[in-house]
Amino acid sequence: MLLLGLLLTSTVTPAHEAGPAVSTSASSTRASALIEALGRPAPARTAFAEARFMHMLERPLVVSGQLAWLGGDRLERRVEKPRLEIATITDGEVTQQREGKRPRHFSLKRAPQLQVLLDSFVALLSGDAERLQRAFVIQTSGHAAGAWSMTLTPRDPEVARTVASIVIDGFARESRCMETHEADGDVAVDLLGTLAGEMPAQPTPAALQTLCRGAP
Amino acid sequence: MSTSRKARTGLLVTWLLVLAALGWIVAQRLHVTTDLRSFMPAPTTPDQRLLMDQVGEGPASRLLLLAIDGAPSGSLARLSRGLAVALKHDPRYAQVLNGNVDLGALPDGLLAYRYLLSPTLDTQALDEPYLADQLQQRVDDLSSPGASLLKPLLPRDPTLEVLKLAQLWAPARSPELRDGVWFSKQGEALLLVQTAAAGFDPGAQDAAVSGIERAFHALPGSNDAKLQLSGPGYFSVVLSAQTRHQADWIGRISTVGFIVLLLLAYRSVSSLLLSALPIASAALAGIAALTLIYPAVHGITLAFGFTLLGVAQEYPIRVLSHRRAGEDALASVRALWPLLLTAIASACIAYLAFYASGVNGLQQLAVFTIVGLLVAGFTTRYLLVYLLPRRVHDVADMRWLARARQWVDALPRPRWIPVLAALMIVLLLALAPGPFWQNNLAALTPLPTAMLQRDARLREALGAPDVRYMVVLQAPTAQGVLALSEKLQARADALVGQHAIDALELPSRYLPPVALQRKRQARLPDRAALEQSLHAASRDLPFRPGLFAPFVNDVEAARSLPPLTPERFEQSPLGQRLAAMLVQRDGQWFGLGTVSGVHDVAALQAIGADSHGSVRLLDLKAASESLVAAYRTRILRALLGAAILLVLTISVALRSVRRAWHVLAPMTLATFLVLAVERVMGIEISLFHLVALILAGGLGLHYALFFERDTGDPAEQRRVLHATIVCVLSALLVFGMLAWSTIPVLRAIGLTVSLGVFFHFCLSILMAPHAHAAED
Repeated sequence: MLLLGLLLTSTVTPAHEAGPAVSTSASSTRASALIEALGRPAPARTAFAEARFMHMLERPLVVSGQLAWLGGDRLERRVEKPRLEIATITDGEVTQQREGKRPRHFSLKRAPQLQVLLDSFVALLSGDAERLQRAFVIQTSGHAAGAWSMTLTPRDPEVARTVASIVIDGFARESRCMETHEADGDVAVDLLGTLAGEMPAQPTPAALQTLCRGAP
Repeated sequence: MSTSRKARTGLLVTWLLVLAALGWIVAQRLHVTTDLRSFMPAPTTPDQRLLMDQVGEGPASRLLLLAIDGAPSGSLARLSRGLAVALKHDPRYAQVLNGNVDLGALPDGLLAYRYLLSPTLDTQALDEPYLADQLQQRVDDLSSPGASLLKPLLPRDPTLEVLKLAQLWAPARSPELRDGVWFSKQGEALLLVQTAAAGFDPGAQDAAVSGIERAFHALPGSNDAKLQLSGPGYFSVVLSAQTRHQADWIGRISTVGFIVLLLLAYRSVSSLLLSALPIASAALAGIAALTLIYPAVHGITLAFGFTLLGVAQEYPIRVLSHRRAGEDALASVRALWPLLLTAIASACIAYLAFYASGVNGLQQLAVFTIVGLLVAGFTTRYLLVYLLPRRVHDVADMRWLARARQWVDALPRPRWIPVLAALMIVLLLALAPGPFWQNNLAALTPLPTAMLQRDARLREALGAPDVRYMVVLQAPTAQGVLALSEKLQARADALVGQHAIDALELPSRYLPPVALQRKRQARLPDRAALEQSLHAASRDLPFRPGLFAPFVNDVEAARSLPPLTPERFEQSPLGQRLAAMLVQRDGQWFGLGTVSGVHDVAALQAIGADSHGSVRLLDLKAASESLVAAYRTRILRALLGAAILLVLTISVALRSVRRAWHVLAPMTLATFLVLAVERVMGIEISLFHLVALILAGGLGLHYALFFERDTGDPAEQRRVLHATIVCVLSALLVFGMLAWSTIPVLRAIGLTVSLGVFFHFCLSILMAPHAHAAED
């Protein structure tokens, strides 16, 4: 569910000039400028580490692996630890494969977190701010050349019933973290790219937040 | 004069009042049905009875196939989901499937039964190793993209029994999924809806179909998209609308034609209006008789019966044509009555063959027409003649008629005409292409080919059950059937494995027998044992303590539940699905297994090999064809009986075998000539063609009877010709119209009768004795 981060992950050299400053209540043109600056060619691959904090669980679930965009509307989330699991999205259908089990299929509509990603994926990848704004209400803060943060709120009420918002933290042209706030209060924090290797053994939301907002 | 006028007015008013009263009774009692089975032969064997039940009420007949197209696939998927949600809680629909896994298939009240319904406990105990494996999988699920799907279920159902049941109850072979819903290769979103009402209950099907259409059009974005339906229930709705529509326009055009024809023939508006009274009486009395005898009257019987009553128009026509100037109508009718009575009696005998067919719809038709003919005949004789105006225009004085009569009389009437006709019949029959008889009932089902092709395509795409084959399980009790069904499951799986069939859906798939439920129940651990295994299984897992309390409570409740019976289950929406597969008839219980994609009939047939008849394959097509063949034998026998009765009646009425020959020979030859001509046209003869031949025979008999009558009075001969021409034209008008119908049954009858009327008319003129024969 973290493929969005992939788009923002820096594999390109940082901007040689300072980008435009963005404020908390930036106009949509300002947000557009940031998004357009983040656009890059595909395909792409990045490491991730995710910690999930859930009501049902006493301690967070931590997994790590690789995220990849395979072209078109095809995404892959490959979990390597603690157990191998590959989830792919193709044509609105999610296929989930685990070692020694038969593959499971379910509709993208049943996994609104993934829907959120798919809706925004192509738009962000191509730097298509307009398309992203159709799916989300976008708020940005910080400075495009330094630390910044972008909050995406789904416009589709069906999606919003599961995913309340997504916060992406980044520095310059590198996005470092993605926090998914689910409507029931559960939170998932994904550390992306180089930050993925820094997942603490016993993560807490506060510790991860500090990590995300820090400079590289 | 004034008393006579007063008496006539009184008679007219009384007659109209009686008609109004009859109309009121009909309006109160008439219940029209369009159940197609009324036009199918009556079943005689238990399998045939089951066949007729299943054709109308079986699970396959309750299935509606839906396709949505005309929009991008994303919108189609949204519409499919919206429609499924809208229909799901509507009591008119037992099951709505669109490919979306339905976790709400089991209502809350029955949720604890999941451990008795799911096969998990047959191979697994709810012990520590199993729970540990399951819980570890749930942890993995929670960190996977599908977590939001799972979260609400987890505390109550950590082993996901609900999901297993939903998968068990989904169709075995389903179409391609796009955006989580079914799509056909042509890019239409597909849905399957099982109606609560039987397929041939047209009222309820109409409500179900319009309910679907309304729900669809209420969805946002449905304006651009197109919803198409298919399936037996939808067909019955289309058919009933189509029949009504065609009956309406044929009736309207025929009526206008009639009025014009009669005005031209008699040039008297009052005669025209009055002569409508016997027909109106006939129609009302006929319907009233039907409502008294039958609980429901078939729509086709009515559409068709009104048309057949056109024959009764002949009675007032004969009276009108035979009036002489200055002669009282009563005097004319007295001279005519013996012949008219013979005509009425012989038409009734011909129509009796409908009754002997044993088909409910045709029996209704016989009752309607025979009552109608008698009423029309007797009201003409005993009521109409007192109302007709005194001053009339004698048709015998018409110049064109005199010339026509001269021309007819001058026609050569060689003795070899019958021989020539007979030779032609033999030759044509020998040359005719294709099989003689049409045994396929479906050929009479008036559905456009395009609609049937779409049905076949959707059925194939959806893996919907075959309408031809059905596996029948028989036992003295419902539980017996379920146990049989449970035992058969392994064999069904083997058949699917061999690719003999794509799927066989048995009733135990929805509800296992009580014995099996008890076995599963006995394997459920008690609260203490379950809590202990659960604690041990989740020791190293991050679940919060007490999270699975709802699960523990459900298992505890399931331990003491009374096993789920068909009666209890059938109260839930999904139980309706079972109810259609588990039926009681003649003190026995029958389970109906629906088969999809039959590739190897012989292998499927072997499914009941050693069951001593308690499991068998029902081939609905073979059963229906045997039914048709048996039915044809009955019709032919009825025809033979009617023919013998006719010969006797005519011989007795005319008191001469030679005269009877002049009446019966043209009728017989014309009948066979129609048969021969239709065969040469490539038409396969169905039951309805036979029935129409009988009807045409009745009409032809009238012509022959009147032409044969030799009064020695040229004026009277002219009147006979006039009356016969009016009758022939009116019959050609009505049946010629029917021949244009798109409903095959009506077309078969229209064409046969039109041809028949023409041949009967020609042959009865050519074979009638010469007018001057008496003088010779």
